[in-house]
Amino acid sequence: MACTSANVVKCHCQKKWSSVTMPAMAKIQFCFTFILFIAINCASVNVDNISSDVKFKNVDRTIDLSSQLVKISQKITLENSGKSPVKSFLVAVEASSKNNLAYIGAKDSSGKDLRVSETTVKGHDSAKFWRVDLKDALNAGSTVVVTSETVFTKALQPYPTAITQQEDQLVKYTGNLYVYSPYQVTSQKTNVVVVTKGIESFSKVKPFSQQDGAIQYGPYPNVAPFTEKELSVHYKNNSPFLTVTRIERLIEVSHWGNIAIEELIEVEHTGAKLKGPFSRYDYQQDLHSGPASVRSYKTLLPASASDVYYRDTNGNISTSNMKVKKDSVELDLRPRYPLFGGWKTHYTLGYNVPSYEYLYHSGNEYLLKMRVIDHIFDDMQVDELTTKIILPEGSVGIKLNVPYPVTRLADSLHYTYLDTKGRPVITFKKSNVVENHIQDFQLRYTFPRLLMFQEPLLVVGFLYALFLLVIIYVRLDFSIHKAEHQHKD
Amino acid sequence: MSLEIESMVRYASPINPAVFPHLTLLLLGIGIFFTAWFFVYEVTSTKLSRDLFKELLLSLVAALFSGFGILFLLLWVGIYV
Amino acid sequence: MPATAVAKPENGRNKGIFHNTAGFSTLITVTVLSLAWLAGFASRLFAVIRFESIIHEFDPWFNYRSTAYMVQHGFYNFLNWFDERAWYPLGRIVGGTVYPGLMITSGTIHWILHALNIPIHIRDICVFLAPVFSGLTAIATYLLTSEIWSRGAGLFAACFIAIVPGYSSRSVAGSYDNEGIAIFALQFTYYLWLKSVKSGSIFWSICTALSYFYMVSAWGGYVFIINLIPLHVFVLLVMGRFSQRLFVSYTVFYIIGLLLSMQIPFVGFQPIRTSEHMAASGVFALLMAVGALKYLHSLNPKGQWKQLLIVGGFLAAVAVFLVVVLLTYMGVIAPWSGRFYSLWDTAYAKIHIPIIASVSEHQPTTWSSFFFDLHVLVCTFPVGLWYCIKNINDERVFVALYALSAVYFAGVMVRLMLTLTPVVCVLAGIAFSILLDLVLREDEMCPPPVESEESKSLYDKAGKLKKRPHETPNGASEAGLGMNVRSGTLIAFMILLMLFSVHCTWATSNAYSSPSIVLASYGNDGSRRILDDFREAYGWLSQNTAEDARIMSWWDYGYQIAGMGNRTTLVDNNTWNNSHIALVGKAMASNESAAYSIMTALDVDYVLVIFGGAIGYSGDDINKFIWMVRIAEGEHPKDIHEADYFTERGEYRVDSEASKTMLNCLMYKLSYYRYDSGGSPPGYDRTRGALPGNRGFKLTYLEEAYTTEHWLVRIYRVKKPDEFNRPRLPVAKRTISTTNSVSKKLAIGPGTTTSKRRKGLLKNKPTVVKGKKVARLE
Repeated sequence: MACTSANVVKCHCQKKWSSVTMPAMAKIQFCFTFILFIAINCASVNVDNISSDVKFKNVDRTIDLSSQLVKISQKITLENSGKSPVKSFLVAVEASSKNNLAYIGAKDSSGKDLRVSETTVKGHDSAKFWRVDLKDALNAGSTVVVTSETVFTKALQPYPTAITQQEDQLVKYTGNLYVYSPYQVTSQKTNVVVVTKGIESFSKVKPFSQQDGAIQYGPYPNVAPFTEKELSVHYKNNSPFLTVTRIERLIEVSHWGNIAIEELIEVEHTGAKLKGPFSRYDYQQDLHSGPASVRSYKTLLPASASDVYYRDTNGNISTSNMKVKKDSVELDLRPRYPLFGGWKTHYTLGYNVPSYEYLYHSGNEYLLKMRVIDHIFDDMQVDELTTKIILPEGSVGIKLNVPYPVTRLADSLHYTYLDTKGRPVITFKKSNVVENHIQDFQLRYTFPRLLMFQEPLLVVGFLYALFLLVIIYVRLDFSIHKAEHQHKD
Repeated sequence: MSLEIESMVRYASPINPAVFPHLTLLLLGIGIFFTAWFFVYEVTSTKLSRDLFKELLLSLVAALFSGFGILFLLLWVGIYV
Repeated sequence: MPATAVAKPENGRNKGIFHNTAGFSTLITVTVLSLAWLAGFASRLFAVIRFESIIHEFDPWFNYRSTAYMVQHGFYNFLNWFDERAWYPLGRIVGGTVYPGLMITSGTIHWILHALNIPIHIRDICVFLAPVFSGLTAIATYLLTSEIWSRGAGLFAACFIAIVPGYSSRSVAGSYDNEGIAIFALQFTYYLWLKSVKSGSIFWSICTALSYFYMVSAWGGYVFIINLIPLHVFVLLVMGRFSQRLFVSYTVFYIIGLLLSMQIPFVGFQPIRTSEHMAASGVFALLMAVGALKYLHSLNPKGQWKQLLIVGGFLAAVAVFLVVVLLTYMGVIAPWSGRFYSLWDTAYAKIHIPIIASVSEHQPTTWSSFFFDLHVLVCTFPVGLWYCIKNINDERVFVALYALSAVYFAGVMVRLMLTLTPVVCVLAGIAFSILLDLVLREDEMCPPPVESEESKSLYDKAGKLKKRPHETPNGASEAGLGMNVRSGTLIAFMILLMLFSVHCTWATSNAYSSPSIVLASYGNDGSRRILDDFREAYGWLSQNTAEDARIMSWWDYGYQIAGMGNRTTLVDNNTWNNSHIALVGKAMASNESAAYSIMTALDVDYVLVIFGGAIGYSGDDINKFIWMVRIAEGEHPKDIHEADYFTERGEYRVDSEASKTMLNCLMYKLSYYRYDSGGSPPGYDRTRGALPGNRGFKLTYLEEAYTTEHWLVRIYRVKKPDEFNRPRLPVAKRTISTTNSVSKKLAIGPGTTTSKRRKGLLKNKPTVVKGKKVARLE
């Protein structure tokens, strides 16, 4: 679900992080939602003009349809045909697919990320624009190669929408045959990758060629700006169509050397729905039965993850395997039942990591650097992500830096073992998340080290109070009868 | 004001998690010993032979050791407070 | 915690067998009790360690679900909770039909812990409640035994009860049931009762009544207390042991206990309206009469008063009895319920209430299960009983009555083994304490009378039980009291105790620690495979069916479906409505079309059956099926006949020899539908060891919705009327229904007809059906 508000979905700003100081305690008093999009560097909605100097000399576009996501990467050869140097250019997304856009990014020829920020153009209200800032200004007459990458979720429609257990899942992609660009495109080629031989139909606009698993279109010369022509591909796609409808990621920091992570995940198979009965017999007969169903998937955890648990409200899900690899822990998660189209499941995945992997300090100043979201399965798509960070009791001066705009919710308090006034909880939300969003946030806070003694001293004080009660109790005399008491002694 | 990440050092637990079990057993053992001593003293001593100072001291030692013992027990079993 | 609780009573008591200082013996007592607590707790954790922290079996799932509801919605909402998810379409008033003590206990613990910021999930509290309470039971048993005999005996009893399988069978971690806390309440009430009889103080009587109140709120077994205490009082009266102490303690206890027990919504006015409670009020009236006569006697202690007292007491007893009988006939007092009858007449349930007889834990106890649950204690407790009767006093009368009645009840029902276990532990503790006392005592402390008792008791034992003949010479020659004999006896008993603890651990671990919703199978190489089919199915139900879907299954799985699947059930383990259960049984026992009309009448969306044929799980629905037939026959004798489901030779089979009715009933079809995997010939049923007789059939009114990995749980969706696989007819012909649908109607005919005629529950098209039936018969 793409964000409709233009302000919330933001470009991916790598260098300057939007940062806001939140005195945690004060914010709790007023329960209002605090939204973080008022970032320093892109404080207001930009308005850009389409420069007539810029031309796309050549565009090599690859549309990867092999998974449930649509990943489009464009290798753009940019030409400055004007007189003055050009510092930035625009990329556009057509109105029909702008709501499906989850991620957009750009790289220069050496693989370095370029700054991408959202913008608008007068007269083209329906489309969406991003401004890519070049590292060095492009001089007149010269060219530069930039690679842009966009990821769309829910752009593939299952067609037919319901299939029986044994049938393959067919999906339909509808896109633009030409590169949707605000500039003149001198030459363009499009390569549609489907990784299957089962292509039912596709748009045939010459010149095109079809090889197994791929369709090539083009080259098409001199396409005018904002040209749209339907490109549709109807093909077999049995890759897992799993959507994480909701994930809540809890990060609990303990200064006794541990960071506990717990993820509450709801998954739904959003491919073609299962029609008719489910037959265990057929499903057991051969392994290729139920080609569109998902038996299991792999989740990668950090290499230092330990004490992993995988459970739901009814207890452990015993059908899972863990493999410790060199750079990660690989979990082979099998839901309790295979997931067919329209079937849902939910589970909790939790693990511990040692604090030295993600927590830095200098005196009483601490910095937590962790992933906003971690890998759930390959080519994942997440409808709604909520990340909560629980800091030790007594942390103050909390500052959050996020790699891309998120909606920050009100801070709250969390009470757990040996707490008195509660631990500050920082919460933020983001919708329509894909793998490209696995990036680090930074959270700075101040924590006086002496506060670590608060917890043991609390226990000591409690025990001592109990002992004192005993001391007082033996000095009391509840009997009405003085004489009898002495008799007893 | 805020420091850059390069100037910071990685934060590890002030006490190595590997020694949590040993600390637990040691501290809780001493704590239980003093608790037992305290209760035996409370039961055996009479009104006349009771010494408040000794009681307070015994209970304080017992509370200190048991308290820290319980903390490390929690840490040992995975409840990172 | 236990330290303060235990140290107190000891201060007041004389020194028992310990010749040490009070401090030392207190330390030992506290240590032993805390170790007993720890051992009891630890030995109940097998299921948690082997599997996980999970609620077991059937009833605990309901208790857990209602506890979670109470924690979420508050106590008053819980009391007013109308559960529309159970007994569709009737619903169930949970607050008024449940003993809330268990939920309140764990809810209170949850509340306290959360007030202290200890965020333990309510499920974990429920799982570990019974093991924790087993420690409290051990302490209560210690107190009770100390009251009856000595502290040494008390420690023995506490250690026994902590690990004895007869008690841990109902209190392992995860077995979240009323019995887990009720045994503690039972023992503690008895302790307080003895305390109040001994002291005659109102304080202790009120404590007894409060503890009794807790027991009433926790378990229906409180009836045992409210009959045993009056029995104790009555026997004391008969024995001429009337005293002011007895008078005070019983009257106070009865009045306050009665009022308190009526506060529980589920109990309500039962204590004054049902026969089960009449003994208590009768004894109360009798005690009043005897008290009055005694008072008259005290005014003039000479002359014929003694006889008058006896005759007067007797007359009063007869009068009370007659009044109760009269009231029962007039209908003021409800007669004994069927469940209660079955305690006196073991064949009663089998004839009249098949639903009670169908539960395995309501079967009479076998001798082996006595030994299995109590081991050496079952041999030694008569010794303790004998000693108690030999050195009789008011409290020992009580324990003797407790033992005798509990032995009887335990013999009638396996389930009531639970009430026998505590008293066996108490008496065995006494026996062991006496023996050790004897063996360890220095020579100068050996009084001759103890000697003779000992030898007699062992005679008694040897006559009754042949289990340990080698023990007799040891004990008998105790009179000689050589050093060797003594150490020999000691060693023999130590070995016995050791064997006992080994047996307890083994029995708890192997027999009682299975969660029963997670199964484990072991491969040839010793590797363990977990069969998680139940949770797989319930998880599927909870995620992939409509929120208000109604699931029909046999009543055993009602609580689990509601607890884990969170879906509406038709019948569940609270078997309060026999005819509703019979209707489900009838649906399962009918053929598909007849079952379909029952299912549509009941708005069933899914049918869930348990089928163990693929993995050899013997507790599945086909094996329970004969009970469904019996229960259905009880309510619908015209439609269902048990004999139809057997072969002509009276065998219960599923293969090709089986009867036609059996091969075509819904349960059979749902179990074997498209079942072609399993053993070496495909479709082989490993549980019954047979090849199903009816195979390759198609279902018309249902379709397979889900089957778990090992075929254990099979869920079918009931089709809507527009989705039937009707016979393929040209579209043009379909409209002319009268001529073409004959064959289909014939199939439906019998089921709808009969059920219509019987009960009038199903309302569809009576005239058509009636005409059809006549036609068919002709």
